[in-house]
Amino acid sequence: MNPDLNYEYALLLPEFILAATAALVLFADAFRQELRVSRRLLPWLAVLGALVAGVVSLAYLDRSDDFAELLTIDDFTTFFRVLFAAIVVVLILGSHEFVERHVRHVGEFYALLLLATVGAIFMSAARELITAYIAIELLSFSLYVAVSLTLGDRRSGEASLKYVLLGGVASAMLLYGLSLLYGIAGSTQYAEIGAAFAAGTADFEWALVLSLALLIGGLGFKASAVPFHMWTPDAYEGAPLPITAFLSATSKAAIVALLLRVFGGPLLPAIDEWQWMMATLAVLTMAFGNLIALQQSNIKRLLAYSSIGQVGYMLMAVTAISFETSSALLLHVAGYLVTNLAVFAAVIAVHNRTGDERIAGFRGLAETQPYLALVLTAGLFSLAGMPLFAGFATKFILFQAVASEGFLWLSVVAVIASTVSLYYYLQVIRQMYLYPPDGDAARWRPSFTALATTGGLLLGVVFIGLYAGPLFRLADGAATALFV
Amino acid sequence: MIPLENFLLLSAALFAIGFYGVLARRSAILILMSVELMLAAVSINLVAFAAYLDADGLTGMIFAIFVITVAAAEVGLALGIVLRLYRERRTANVDAADELKW
Amino acid sequence: MRRLPLPSQFDRIIITGGVVAGLALAPLLLVLLVLLAVDEITAPEFIFWLVAAVVVGGALGTVLLPNIVYAALSLVATLLGVAGVYLLLGSEFLALAQVLIYGGGVVILLLFGLMLTNATDDPVVSDGSQKPFAAMVGLLLAGVIVAAAYDATWGVNEVAASSLRAFGEQLFGDYMVPFIIIAVLLDIALTGAYVNARRERATAGDEETSP
Repeated sequence: MNPDLNYEYALLLPEFILAATAALVLFADAFRQELRVSRRLLPWLAVLGALVAGVVSLAYLDRSDDFAELLTIDDFTTFFRVLFAAIVVVLILGSHEFVERHVRHVGEFYALLLLATVGAIFMSAARELITAYIAIELLSFSLYVAVSLTLGDRRSGEASLKYVLLGGVASAMLLYGLSLLYGIAGSTQYAEIGAAFAAGTADFEWALVLSLALLIGGLGFKASAVPFHMWTPDAYEGAPLPITAFLSATSKAAIVALLLRVFGGPLLPAIDEWQWMMATLAVLTMAFGNLIALQQSNIKRLLAYSSIGQVGYMLMAVTAISFETSSALLLHVAGYLVTNLAVFAAVIAVHNRTGDERIAGFRGLAETQPYLALVLTAGLFSLAGMPLFAGFATKFILFQAVASEGFLWLSVVAVIASTVSLYYYLQVIRQMYLYPPDGDAARWRPSFTALATTGGLLLGVVFIGLYAGPLFRLADGAATALFV
Repeated sequence: MIPLENFLLLSAALFAIGFYGVLARRSAILILMSVELMLAAVSINLVAFAAYLDADGLTGMIFAIFVITVAAAEVGLALGIVLRLYRERRTANVDAADELKW
Repeated sequence: MRRLPLPSQFDRIIITGGVVAGLALAPLLLVLLVLLAVDEITAPEFIFWLVAAVVVGGALGTVLLPNIVYAALSLVATLLGVAGVYLLLGSEFLALAQVLIYGGGVVILLLFGLMLTNATDDPVVSDGSQKPFAAMVGLLLAGVIVAAAYDATWGVNEVAASSLRAFGEQLFGDYMVPFIIIAVLLDIALTGAYVNARRERATAGDEETSP
């Protein structure tokens, strides 16, 4: 288009919009006295930027410029772009009251959310190891900082320190794996790595296994797969609630996108070398994530382990990778995001009222705020995979796809894990419905934005559960871009 | 000519020493230094592969320069957090960070 | 020494450390010289082993020395040694960048961190009790990596000194997008350092006026 530029940078417009909005938010916050803007304006600015970015990304359907094979803007990227932009919008709408009260450095908080989203989008778009690595670090760095932003809570700094130190080690391991991969394939581009692997890797048996093990270990850390999950509950507990939601939503979806791109593309020829590792990781993650969740008493830690368990189902689909499992996985990820955000939006709305992080803090919610209790119940049932809700439809399609790829035993493990998970989700629901409220039993009303976000998400959960067709077609289209 | 394996040997040693440091040290800053050792090992690997295997010999070097940049940024970021923890608890040891159960 | 040394005392530490390290390296130097004399190894290999000794020695010092200032200074030795490795691999730009970024930036930053967090304490730190376990894991890891490296048949080409011009063209041409992303990343690191290192006001340090 423009003869002066090497690439069609307009294709990256959504990311530029997000980053520019982040900069704008930072400046508006820093100069708010000179500019006479209120801090209440910042969330709306961020929402506006994310909305525009999400809409603009729809203009690039079926387009692709490969940026010297580094990135590709195909339907797969667009799928995640829209998802990630939507997550930011919903998250900010659902939590801006929380942020006002419980977060230090409000401007930086919103800016980091937007920049983390940029990193997540690049993770889903990368077709080259360097770009993928930088994108992972962009997301991780934003989260290291965001975790440390809880106001007046000593746990926050501690969580951030653990996260950044362990994250640094995981990055080093991931990088060592990538460097070996580069040595084996002689290139960092997915296409050329795939070609090199297809041509045979008999020369590198041990080195290949080692590099894949380090790669899966490093990425497993970022996805908080067992046994690389130790940072997850701490980071979740120390982080402000919206960041906890973000950690369990965007950061998980982004790593899934990256795994699909890497393991569904260049590493597919070496599937015999990594399939067993991924299967082990998936089983461990499903089993331990759900089992440890049984004994949590803090809602953030409960949701942390629950999200670990959910990652297990996603890794299971990566193990049995094919076109069908990929599209089922994309559908499941989308359904999971809606469900998970519904749960978190409700938890944030309740926390705004009670300020209580214990599961016992939800006692009697059905009496004091029946609507939020209903949203939370629907969300938790959906996470467990109960019929009528999104979780059932997406899990059903996912487990079936995995089973039909010859991994029936993995599906069985996943079904058992889901059943176990129902138990601890029911613990929360029991507190809400079977116990009288502690102390203040007066009815209360959440704010309008909280009502609107939880309402929209509840509709989404039920809609996907009853009629997953449209979303499934979208996921199918995105997966088609992956397996051309 | 120096065999490629020599460089891989050196980087393996450096990586393992760094990993030992991460496991054995308790001061957050010393752990950060150990992570730097691991990243230096990665860079040696990348540059060695670039020099010996890659046709144009550039990709690995560019990767290495990105790794160096990210490593430097990580030190800055992490030190900020260490300073905060020190202000809150008067120590930079990771085992003082024990309010969250691991 | 029970107190953290002042920066003005660093030269003494460096000189002492350098002499100790030099003495420790002397036998190795002697062996290598003999090998070189009888044509067992070539001149580049001679330099490689010397640099490798500095790198590994410095690394061991970094993870083993109980005095944190000594550990930090021996990290400098390692990182300078790594710059030497880059030179051996024909990449003078990376070598210079390494010296500038690490020697000039990162290590100074780390030393600042040490000064700010241990200023009143004594500089000797105790390590965790998991040392034997850590040593075992480290040895195992090294063994596995070395075995993998020697097991593989690397299709070695000629070492070609890469041209700086081509490097620059590729970095700012093909790799423009990662370059842009890393700019954002540095911005985040700056923000992160600032929000955490800054002293908060005692209560709700959020609505304060400019610091």
